[in-house]
Amino acid sequence: MSRVAFLVLCACALTSCAGHQQSAVDPAGVQADRIAHLWWFFFCVLIAIFLAVMAFTLWTLTRRHRGIEQEPLESKHKPSEATESRLTRTVSGLVIATVLVLLVLLVSSITTGKNISELRDKQHGLIIETTGNQWWWQFRYLNDDSNEILITANEIHIPVGRPVMIRGMSQDVIHSFWVPNLHGKRDLIPSRITEEWIEADHPGAYRGQCAEYCGLQHAHMVFWVIAEPPEKFKHWFDSQLQPAATPTDPDKLRGQQVFLKNACVFCHAIRGTTAAAQNGPDLTHFGSRRTIAAGTLPNTPGNLGGWIVDPQNVKPGNHMATIAVNSEDLQPLIDYLESLK
Amino acid sequence: MNRSDHVTPTTGGEARELRLLEQAWRHPRGIFGWLSYTTHQAIGLRYIVTAFIFLLVGGIEALLMRIQLAVPNNTFLSPDRYNEIFTTHGTTMMFLFAVPVMEGMGIYLVPLMLGTRNVAFPRLNAFGYWMYLCGCIFLYWGVFTNAAPDAGWFAYPPLAGPQFDPGKRVDFWAQMITFTEVSAMCVAAELIATIFKMRAPGMTLNRIPLFCWSMLVQSFMVIFAMPSIMIASSFLLSDRTLGTHYVNPAEGGDPLLYQHVFWFFGHPEVYIIFIPALGFVSHIISAHSRRAVFGYPAMVLSVVATGFIGFGLWVHHMFATGLPQIGEAYFTASSMMIAIASGAQIFCWIATLWTGRLRMTTALHFVFGFIAIFVFGGLSGLVLASVPLDLQVHDTYFVVAHFHYVLIGGALFPLFGAFYHWFPKMTGRLLNEALGKLNFWVLFIGFNLTFFPMHILGLKGMTRRIYTYPPEMGWGAANHLATIGAAIIALGGLLFIANVLLSRRRGQIAGDDPWDADTLEWAASSPPANYNFEYLPVASSRSPLWDPPEERAIVTGLRNDRREALVTTLMDAEPHHRYVLPGPTIWPLITAIAVTVGFAGSVFNGWYIFWGAGLTGIGLIGWFWPRRPLELKP
Amino acid sequence: MTAAKTLDVAQLPPYDVSSQSPLWWGQVCLAIIEGTMFSILLACYFYVRLRMDVWPPPGDQFPHLLIPTLGLIPLLLSVPPAYYASQAAKKNDRGGMIRNLALNLLFGLIYFVLRVVEWHSLNFNWKADIQGSLVWAFLGLHTFDYVGDLGFTLVLLVLVLTGRYGEKQRLGVHVDTVVWYFLVAVWIPIYIVIYWGPRLVETPR
Repeated sequence: MSRVAFLVLCACALTSCAGHQQSAVDPAGVQADRIAHLWWFFFCVLIAIFLAVMAFTLWTLTRRHRGIEQEPLESKHKPSEATESRLTRTVSGLVIATVLVLLVLLVSSITTGKNISELRDKQHGLIIETTGNQWWWQFRYLNDDSNEILITANEIHIPVGRPVMIRGMSQDVIHSFWVPNLHGKRDLIPSRITEEWIEADHPGAYRGQCAEYCGLQHAHMVFWVIAEPPEKFKHWFDSQLQPAATPTDPDKLRGQQVFLKNACVFCHAIRGTTAAAQNGPDLTHFGSRRTIAAGTLPNTPGNLGGWIVDPQNVKPGNHMATIAVNSEDLQPLIDYLESLK
Repeated sequence: MNRSDHVTPTTGGEARELRLLEQAWRHPRGIFGWLSYTTHQAIGLRYIVTAFIFLLVGGIEALLMRIQLAVPNNTFLSPDRYNEIFTTHGTTMMFLFAVPVMEGMGIYLVPLMLGTRNVAFPRLNAFGYWMYLCGCIFLYWGVFTNAAPDAGWFAYPPLAGPQFDPGKRVDFWAQMITFTEVSAMCVAAELIATIFKMRAPGMTLNRIPLFCWSMLVQSFMVIFAMPSIMIASSFLLSDRTLGTHYVNPAEGGDPLLYQHVFWFFGHPEVYIIFIPALGFVSHIISAHSRRAVFGYPAMVLSVVATGFIGFGLWVHHMFATGLPQIGEAYFTASSMMIAIASGAQIFCWIATLWTGRLRMTTALHFVFGFIAIFVFGGLSGLVLASVPLDLQVHDTYFVVAHFHYVLIGGALFPLFGAFYHWFPKMTGRLLNEALGKLNFWVLFIGFNLTFFPMHILGLKGMTRRIYTYPPEMGWGAANHLATIGAAIIALGGLLFIANVLLSRRRGQIAGDDPWDADTLEWAASSPPANYNFEYLPVASSRSPLWDPPEERAIVTGLRNDRREALVTTLMDAEPHHRYVLPGPTIWPLITAIAVTVGFAGSVFNGWYIFWGAGLTGIGLIGWFWPRRPLELKP
Repeated sequence: MTAAKTLDVAQLPPYDVSSQSPLWWGQVCLAIIEGTMFSILLACYFYVRLRMDVWPPPGDQFPHLLIPTLGLIPLLLSVPPAYYASQAAKKNDRGGMIRNLALNLLFGLIYFVLRVVEWHSLNFNWKADIQGSLVWAFLGLHTFDYVGDLGFTLVLLVLVLTGRYGEKQRLGVHVDTVVWYFLVAVWIPIYIVIYWGPRLVETPR
């Protein structure tokens, strides 16, 4: 009985996590929604089966069996023919019932699978090429001609109500793109291209995380999917398309110089400057992102300073070099990067 | 009053025969002698004790992980150390504990249940154990020299490949696989030969004990599945050390090829662990409910069906890799279909319990625990079988919960039940029942407290194999609970060890058959003599020890001045010829050392394969060199 | 005695040189294990082939056909002596065992020499690309098993020649043929896949 109570409590706990980020049972998109429905259907069926099996099992502990005579087993160890044939009928019936239940689960599963893949026939999908790296995400927005037009990292914005195709690949090891509020996961496999359609039906910020063990900092390979109404998305997209403006403020200009003169340019690109390397996240609109180091820390000047000065302290083992920045150069650099909105 | 089938020598002739028998089967003395044992009871116990030690090691690794995850942003373990520990935890549990302990129980129990004196290939048996032990030492040599593998227990390339995991870490992992798979294949071959050819006269296929059916199916699964992981680990090791391109994306290698070959083994592997446990459950239930398990033909067919279908499921581990939809549908269907076989078995067991006269021993407690936990795990498995659901919960703590439910519930609980049930046979003393029931409840509560919250964690987005997590995700409470549960499980383990240590010296004397059970091992003494039975029994039915004395028979005419057993025909177990078994010999150990030189050395320098092969050749020649007398006396 | 009935087996022989011996099953299990390994390698070969656009990969010549095909002759010729040796073992015919084991060994060695010659003619090695790695996996595994069994045959021959044999060794001669038949039989599909395969499934030019 306490088991049952425990289970009911957990069901409540689960449903009460409406509004919780990165939860598969808090869908914000049509696919996650259908999967969540399938989940609740399975949950009900399976819990019922479990409770029934446990009821029968625990019932055997009672001394008096209903309707089956006590066999004189101590001497013969053999139940009567009547008992055995009754058991045969019961067990056969249960096996048939099992087959039927499994068929129902199978059909519902395949039907849901078909439904969620039907999105891929939409004409006006947005394609985002997603490349997994140890331990950050590169995103490239493609237009209908598959010409790349926007490169960013660790955070994507998508329009509400429009299907988005995540075309996945990897530069190094296997990663997995997973934003549970919107859809299941898709692996990013080197030497292959995988595809998954997602769609958000409600505006919001949805957290995603790499879901295939990819090394030391697999725990800190997070990304954000911000779903916005179409006009707001267009505004974001257009501003992201602009290259970074040369700052007029002397402090930020100095920061730009610090960036361009240091080893930063070996990995990071800022469109509008000479820095064009793609080994690390593109920083053109770094200031507009919510987090740094692939979701590890909120994007604040303090955190950014700590990251630049000692990346290994924040995310031990990550591939960003520790660059010695003078104390008088650090604040301008931070100001410059945060100004790249 | 325990029933015994000992032949009390009534004549001087019989007393002399018994002395000869004891002399022929006597263990040799000293360390050298101990290293030369080839009796199945000794080797079975070695497997069980060694595996249990590694259960404890794996358990400590789990506790370390749980401490790190007890609170968000914990700094108890560095990311590198955490990754090493979760890798060695999984690897130790799967390869150094779960399969070997089932092999050990099989090696110990099968000859006794079949009514014979030893396995068909006693020297191969010894060799298999030494290979397993060398594999354990090899892996932990890596662990203690700061070269513990850290790419997960399945070591996917390219992460586990030469570019992203340089050094020897994954090499230790991959070659340890080779050791343990060679060991498992030796055991499988000898159990198949024993079960096919060395059964008691009268033990037709229809009368083989359910545990022996389990071991037969499991052995065939080992033979078909283990080569697959030999190839996968060899591909990986070869890419890492010899520059081949099997699974590296450069030059056409394919990471997904590795996954297919690995999981073609990996899925049957869990059934290899679980199917012997099903055998334990059948025997415990029949003894402690005092009736034979209901539906013997259905039980046998279910086990065989599980064995077959188990090979057709592997792609359900790869649903997130973007496979063609038709393939996905097939693997969903097969993954669900296997539940029919397991379900049939559960129903038959419940039917047995329903119509039995239950004796609520600790062993039966563990069986009830098995039913509760395994059924729950099997049901969560149906969630994983569904592709849309799997795409959400794959690689999350939901999967961790599922496989711990089916492995701990489905294999470890029956194993503990089996220990409580057969400990009196192995040692001659009963384990303490009061302490045993406490043991059960502590383990049951601790287990559920640890792993039940993980279902919820998975649905709430917590991925696997992360060394920490931030506080704002709301995962802290469930993780904290799980860590407390883990501590309780550890307590349960300690209680078991305490019970064993106490009962070995001061436990109640068991006699041959304390449970009034039905299968032939209970006709031997407790513990059995090296030769098991003074006169081999004849199997008069499926439950020979419950047959009235006038229906039971024994075999006479085997020579007692050498180690001799009986070979019977495959289908009807008619006596066919007598079979002389080898005595103690050091050559299996020497050969195992030779093979170890080859395997271990080749991880550092490829030429060691040839040295090892040469030494192994010498070992084998010594092993098989003809010994006098060349012609056997009839 | 507490049991009423006895079954006396004293009149049964203490050995049996036939497929009724447990050792025969041990050999069968060995053959199944090795056979499964080769089957998986074959599956890998086709899996990889179906994924590649260009086959054989650039730079790899087709393996030459002449020597491996010629090699099939001694390989197949080694089978009848193996069969007769196993029959001789059953009948305890020493001369028959010696003659046939020797013939089996001779043909086996000729084939082995031809195989080594043919290795040297391959223009790719295991480090070249996936095809090279797979072809060498087949060759390596088969040769390793083959050499092992040749060694075993040699030891048996020496034992019979020196008179150091009894029923157990005759049983060894008898059941070893299981593995020999397997090694010959499994080579046929491997030979077809390695040597004819690239020609049959090559990328159309």
